[in-house]
Amino acid sequence: MSIEKLQPFLAPSYENFPKGRTIGVVVLRTTQSETIFRTEGTGEPMCSEYVQAGVQNTESISRLVMTKRKQVAPERRKGREFLRSHELLYTAPKSDSICALNTNAPCEMCIDCFLYGFAAGGEGAQKSRVWTEDAFSVLPSTELIGDRTINAIFETGTMRDEKGNASTALNTSEYIKPGVHFLDIVTLKDVTADELRYALGNILLTSRYGAVSSRVGRMENQILGIFGGIAELPSSLELVQGVYDKLAADGKALEHPFKTEPLIAAAKSVIATWTNKRGISMQLSADELDALIADVDRNWSLNEQETFLKRLDRSYASLRKVKSEGKKKGRDQQQEE
Amino acid sequence: MPQLELLLAESDSKLPFQTARLVELWCAEPVFFASRELSDTYYTEGTIGNYALAYALGWARSPYRLTGQDTGRPRYLEDLTPLAEQCYILPAWHIEGNASFRFERFNALSDSYWYAMTNNRVATAREDLPLKRTGKKPNTFRPSNFPQTGRLRMIERGNRFQTLVFGDREVPEYIRVGKFTSKVRVDLLRKLTITPLPQGEYRCNAYLSAADIPSSLELLAFDLISMPPVSLLKNLRFRGAAWQVGDFILPANLKFCGGRNNE
Repeated sequence: MSIEKLQPFLAPSYENFPKGRTIGVVVLRTTQSETIFRTEGTGEPMCSEYVQAGVQNTESISRLVMTKRKQVAPERRKGREFLRSHELLYTAPKSDSICALNTNAPCEMCIDCFLYGFAAGGEGAQKSRVWTEDAFSVLPSTELIGDRTINAIFETGTMRDEKGNASTALNTSEYIKPGVHFLDIVTLKDVTADELRYALGNILLTSRYGAVSSRVGRMENQILGIFGGIAELPSSLELVQGVYDKLAADGKALEHPFKTEPLIAAAKSVIATWTNKRGISMQLSADELDALIADVDRNWSLNEQETFLKRLDRSYASLRKVKSEGKKKGRDQQQEE
Repeated sequence: MPQLELLLAESDSKLPFQTARLVELWCAEPVFFASRELSDTYYTEGTIGNYALAYALGWARSPYRLTGQDTGRPRYLEDLTPLAEQCYILPAWHIEGNASFRFERFNALSDSYWYAMTNNRVATAREDLPLKRTGKKPNTFRPSNFPQTGRLRMIERGNRFQTLVFGDREVPEYIRVGKFTSKVRVDLLRKLTITPLPQGEYRCNAYLSAADIPSSLELLAFDLISMPPVSLLKNLRFRGAAWQVGDFILPANLKFCGGRNNE
C-alpha cells in the first residue's frame, strides 16, 4: 500500500509539537462552470495579481488568484458535513452548542478542530496543520474573464412592475470562464495516515468554490503528485511559472480554452524534477499515487466512511480525557526529581 | 584582560586612584534591565547601575553556568571586591537628567500546534485541557514566575549617559549591557585629577551605589532610586571625607560593596 511509503513523513498519532514531517500535495483545480473569486465585493473585478509569467520568461502578466481561504473554507465545510452526520462534532465549551465554523465557539475536540485548527475559542488556540497557498491561473487573466449582466424581472416578465416602476435589479458582474486551470500546492504538517486520508478526501470531494456557489463555482480537483519530505515544496507560483515556461517552449498557443492533458503533462514534468530538492526526499510514483487515491476513495466509500471517521475521531480520545489523578501525581513527582 | 586579580592587601593610603575619566555612554540599541516589575510590565530605571557596568567593561566575568550553591545567589563579592584599589566606576546618569523610554510588548508564543494564553504564561499541554474543563487548575495553566508575555519599558536608543571611571584600566570602545546585551558606545571625554577634600559637609552631584559608600560616612539627605541589585542615591548631602574629581564631589574611598570581603 502506498501510504506505507509515506510512513516516515506521517505521525503515528497527534502530537502537540512539530516534528518536521511534511506531505506536499500538488493539486490541479479546473473550473467547470462560471466561477467568481473576488475579495472587494459585488461588482468588483476578480482577484488577480501581476506576476512574472515564467521563471525564465520575465515578462509580467496578470494572473487570476484563488486565495488560500477560498480553498480551505469549502473543503473544511465538506468534511464537517460528514462529521455532523456521524455525530462527531462536539459541544463547544463556550456556547454549549454544537461545533460550528465562524461562531467564535469551536468545540476544540473534533477532527476538523484538531486538523484545520481554531482560534478565539474558550480555551486556547490550535494552529492549522493544513497549509494552503494562493493558487494562480496558468494563463493570463485577460483571457479568462467574461462579463455577465444579471437582471431580475418582475412576474410580469418585464423590468417594470404593474405600477410602472422600473426594476433596480440590474447589474453587470465579472466571472471566471469554465475550463480555467489553477495550480496549487497544499502542505500537510505532522499528519497521521488517517488525517492525510481525511484532508485528501476533503480536497477530492469538494466541488464548489467562490461566490454564489449554489449557482456557479463548480470546480474539479485533481491530485497530480504527492511528496513526502522534511520541508515544503516549491511554491504554487513557481509551479505555475515552471509550467508556463514549459508550455511556451513546446510552442503551444497559450490561449483559452486550454486543453487539460498537455497541462497535466507539463505540470508533472515540472514536479518530477522536485525530488531531492529543498529537502523533498520522495515523490509517489504514478502507480503509488493511484493506489493512494484508491485507498482514500475506499475509506470514504459509503461502507467504510463511518468506520474511518470514527477511527480517526478515536485517535484523539486520550487528549479529551481527564488524566487519572494517580497518574498525574506520578508525573508531577517525576518532574520535581 | 586579567580576570580576578586578588589583591587583598588593604592599604590605608588616602588616594587609591590617581586619575579618573569622565566617559559618555551612547545607547546604540534600546537597553533593558528589569529594575521594577509591575504586574506584567517590566520597567527599566533611567540609569545604568555600576555593577552592570563593571561586568560590561570586562573587569569581571560571571561564569556561563552556575552550579551548586552559586545558582541561588549573586557573585558580586567574589567578582567585584578584588577590584578595589585597581578600578571603580560610578552608576551612569543621564546627561539631560531624564532618559527617554520606549515600550515594547513581548510574547514568547509556543511552536506547538495547540497553545493557550493563561495567567502570565503560554500553556502548551493540550492533554491538560480536559482537566481544566473540570474546573481544576492543572500545573501548566497556573501563573508562571517565568514571564512569557508582558511589556517592557526600555531605555530608548540614542540616550546618552555619563559616568566616572576610576583607575587607568583600558576601557573598550563598545560594551554590551542589559538583559538583552544591548550595544553601547563608550566615549572618553576628559581625564580628571582626584583631589582629596577634608572632612566636611558636601553635596554630591553624581549617582552613587548605596552599597559602595564607606560605612563611616554620615548621610544627611538623598533621593533613592530603588532597584536591584543595589539601590542608587542621587543628590546626596553628606558629612565626611570627600574627593573632588573635576566638577564632581564624591564621598571618599568608594569601593565595590564597600570593600567587604566574604562575610
